[in-house]
Amino acid sequence: MARMTQKHYEKRLILAMLVYMAVLVADGPLLHATANLPLKALLAVAPVLPMLYVIALMWWRIRDSDELEQRTQLVALGVATALVSAISMVGGFLVTGGVLHLGGSVLIWVFPVMMAGYGIAYRQVARHYGMGALCTGEGSSWVPWYFALTGVLMAALGINAWRHRNLWDAWVFAATAAFFVILAIVSRVRLLRARRMAGKD
Amino acid sequence: MNNRVRELRGEREWSQADLAERLEVSRQTVNAIETGKYDPSLPLAFKIAKLFGLAIESIFEPGE
Repeated sequence: MARMTQKHYEKRLILAMLVYMAVLVADGPLLHATANLPLKALLAVAPVLPMLYVIALMWWRIRDSDELEQRTQLVALGVATALVSAISMVGGFLVTGGVLHLGGSVLIWVFPVMMAGYGIAYRQVARHYGMGALCTGEGSSWVPWYFALTGVLMAALGINAWRHRNLWDAWVFAATAAFFVILAIVSRVRLLRARRMAGKD
Repeated sequence: MNNRVRELRGEREWSQADLAERLEVSRQTVNAIETGKYDPSLPLAFKIAKLFGLAIESIFEPGE
């Protein structure tokens, strides 16, 4: 069975995430304009579809990996699961104790936080074994551009929230935009450095 | 565990990518084995031994 390269995986992941963001942006106005409950429910869960593809993509990636890659990915997933479980439990107790006031919409963050935790844990575990795509120049050159685009989108959403005087959302989007722009710069520099080093070998 | 994978690969003038392709693993996995950061499973160790035409114990030996 042909192995899915890091580059192909990242390209497919980025495409799925772009579809996710497009659906997310289009979904809000459509939800407000719809009164029909079944249609509203369908629109509400529409962003889940690209996320299901991302989960399937991860499954294919792990299935086609060799033994060391599988070990690295499963350890990273374990760490991410433990992290999200711990954060959820702390949050749950804080809400129960009346310290925090969170609505059900906070559950939207479970998957992104888990993926972020997975990404960070994967880099750490991969570094332990002296591997990691960004260190070898084998990652996709799309990644920095995807981070930059996400940063721009977050900034646009932040400006929109600020215009509607929703300062909390504006602050969250601005912080997220800054995070993605920094991520874009760091990943671009690392990719160029890795390729320069690979060229020297 | 110590191993002679890098030495045996060098004798055949294979790159890490060449060996990775023959073993159907990633180049990073070959690198991790060669540098002693990862000890391969028994099936992969047998595959390596078969590829080099040697017994497992002549390639891998317990570390101190």
